[in-house]
Amino acid sequence: MTDLGTQGSATELPGSKDERRGEKPPRRSSSSVLPLVAKLLFLGVLNALAIISLPVMLAEDFWPGIITVALATIALDWAYLSKRAIPAKYLIPGTIFAIVFQVYPIIYSAYTSFTNFSTANRLTFEQALDQFERRSSNVPGSTRYQLTILGGDGGTGELAFFLTDDQGATYLGTADGLQPLEPDQIATDAEGDVQEVEGYVPLTIAQIGDRQQEILQQFEVPTEEGAIRAVTVTSAAVFNRLYSYDPDTGLLTDTETGTTYGQEEGNFVSADGDTLQPGWRIAIGFANFTRIFTSEAIRGPFVQVFIWNVVFAVLSVVTTFALGLGLAVALNHPGMRGRRVYRSLLILPYALPSFMTALIWAGMFNQEYGVINQILGASVPWLRDPTLAKLSILIVNLWLGFPYMFLISTGALQSIPEELKEAGYVDGATPRQAFRRITFPLLLISLAPLLIASFAFNFNNFNIIYLLNGGGPPIAGAQTPAGHTDILITYTYRLAFESGQGNEFGFASAIAIIIFILVGSISALSFRRTRALEEVV
Amino acid sequence: MAVVGSTAEVRGTTGAVVAGSNRGMRWFRSLGWRHLLAWGVLVFALFPILWIISASFNPTGTLISQSLIPSELTWANYEELLLGTTPYVSWLVNTVVIAGLASLFITFLCFLAAYAFSRMRFRGRRTGLMSVLLIQMFPQTLAFVAIFLIMARIKDVFPPIGLGTQAGLILIYLGGAMGVNTWLMKGFLDTLPVELDESARIDGASHWQIFRYIIFPLVIPILAVVFVLSFIFLINDYVLASAVLGQGDPEKFTLSIGLYAYVSDQFNLRWGPFAAGAMMAGIPVVILFLFLQRYIVSGLTQGAVKG
Repeated sequence: MTDLGTQGSATELPGSKDERRGEKPPRRSSSSVLPLVAKLLFLGVLNALAIISLPVMLAEDFWPGIITVALATIALDWAYLSKRAIPAKYLIPGTIFAIVFQVYPIIYSAYTSFTNFSTANRLTFEQALDQFERRSSNVPGSTRYQLTILGGDGGTGELAFFLTDDQGATYLGTADGLQPLEPDQIATDAEGDVQEVEGYVPLTIAQIGDRQQEILQQFEVPTEEGAIRAVTVTSAAVFNRLYSYDPDTGLLTDTETGTTYGQEEGNFVSADGDTLQPGWRIAIGFANFTRIFTSEAIRGPFVQVFIWNVVFAVLSVVTTFALGLGLAVALNHPGMRGRRVYRSLLILPYALPSFMTALIWAGMFNQEYGVINQILGASVPWLRDPTLAKLSILIVNLWLGFPYMFLISTGALQSIPEELKEAGYVDGATPRQAFRRITFPLLLISLAPLLIASFAFNFNNFNIIYLLNGGGPPIAGAQTPAGHTDILITYTYRLAFESGQGNEFGFASAIAIIIFILVGSISALSFRRTRALEEVV
Repeated sequence: MAVVGSTAEVRGTTGAVVAGSNRGMRWFRSLGWRHLLAWGVLVFALFPILWIISASFNPTGTLISQSLIPSELTWANYEELLLGTTPYVSWLVNTVVIAGLASLFITFLCFLAAYAFSRMRFRGRRTGLMSVLLIQMFPQTLAFVAIFLIMARIKDVFPPIGLGTQAGLILIYLGGAMGVNTWLMKGFLDTLPVELDESARIDGASHWQIFRYIIFPLVIPILAVVFVLSFIFLINDYVLASAVLGQGDPEKFTLSIGLYAYVSDQFNLRWGPFAAGAMMAGIPVVILFLFLQRYIVSGLTQGAVKG
């Protein structure tokens, strides 16, 4: 291990010498033409894609995308065109992906956790306001029209309304407004049906069916007092604006009742406390975090979930490692026959995809019909009793995880030089002592990073919890969806996608951030404890 | 080895110098307990697998009616799944394509990074290595809410890689490429003698030639390991697949979200077809795993180039 460092510094110099020295042998230049062409082609395509994508993103105001694409392109061009940045050539591709799809989502989680982002508040202020301004109400006795629905480009392009009022006057209504039509602007067939107006043709019945939602709910012809909208596919009427917004005061007024709505925490709220939907996204500071600790109905289950999460992760690592190491020690003996067969069979649980494992065991633990209760001849509520459900999960996770520990322990055992043990025996150690004092500490050093990783993995082992039992049984009286076997990540998932009150993205992100902090600090602590690891680095 | 083994045995028996220490007892002490433990764990490991195999051939196809040894063997559950209305075959194909492509890229990206960390000394190397380990501590799956929201935004701008697309899911998976596997591969590369590189360099090879012609052939075993490990990791992914594809067309689902939606809907009644589905998807993975077992085990363990 120690001489690795010196070897390392030896390689430092050749990295730069390499380029100079490389010119000398003639065969190199001939063999490096193809890679060079490939490299330039690759960079060319990359830059072209980047340039094409920029206007698209600009049109959408997608600044995170613009910054990412620009920086990534510059970094790649620099790394592959420069002669000196050799480590960068190897590191940058993976780094870009890691930053965009791993680091950035974490940062974005943090941002979201400080907002009220949820189903009811998912729009921006402008989008929400736009929705209110488009709302209109049908005034009794307002003008009615006979309607023929038209479309540009043979019926597939933008919509238009051909309108006839009760006096027989005809109009063309487009998204830009209403214009009166003279009879010579209208092409009709023998029966007097419209054939074409200003390039628009009537929609076929099939086209009307396809675009029904657009016709009945989205399209409108703006007029001075409101808009003309379709009531059915053959009639239209004038609708009045329901709300008017005053940008100076920030107040929204209901044009019928005269009620005014002020802005409060991402919603328009009247003086009576009447809240209008939809709301919009705003920053709400630490409200999502304080909610966890101040609301009794949330705090109780949260603490329970958290404690179980830690217990689950610790016990998972301990049980799987104990069984895996035990097996590895047992099978790692030259006199053992059939080691290969044992090994192949023992790693089967690891080879089987874990989501299937969870579902298979869910069937086996089934209280009424599951095979385990059949064998026991009892009706044990494996997945319905809080304690048994936890035990079941640990059993399933042991089944899933021990082969991995077995594999890595076997590997580590075999990499420990025999001489060390032999030296121990010479000094009079028993096999047990040799294992405890020599083999096991060496194993721990080489396996520590993997064990920590295993802890971190189990801390967030979504599949086993969610797919085996859905986090159940539910905790009675919990305000948010929480179960006795829920760990933080399944709890977060249910908040985000399964909560009865809609998707609580902001609150779910706040919990995700808490998990990040917890996992981060636990890992940091573990690293301190395994200082020995640094030698390996 | 043999010498050590026998000295250990001698010690073991002399430690308990009891009258009539027979051969059986000695055998048990040195080898017997090992077989006993292995058999015990084998029963634990294999029982669920045998049970699901049995379920897949069970003629009635429900959880209630299943016994370990089915009364007769039928392919009814397989037919139900393959020929019925469930888009099971699409799920299977989707999973193989998504996980396969992503794993291929992941292995490559990871190998590139590990090579640089193992063979080069540069400013920020230590920080880089530590960041790789740190980033791995904050798994991507935890940020699934943010990923869902980001993908929804990308969908507005670039629909082909946004929410609900399989290409988008692959890109997200690539974000996790530089994880602990980089360390695994770096550890393996560290065991290859640097003299190999140096002699090649003296012969005039460029860094890319060393990477491609000297190192690459030696690391194929560990590449297989990383590929299979990521492949297994990815087909098991539920959270990200469900965040990206879950609200879209069931035809685009991967196996994990598809099968769960299928069986959790009517757990008891769909047990047989589910078992058949688990068999059909599970067996290739298991075979792949066993086929590459030699590489996986040696890659995870010995990690060295021999002779």
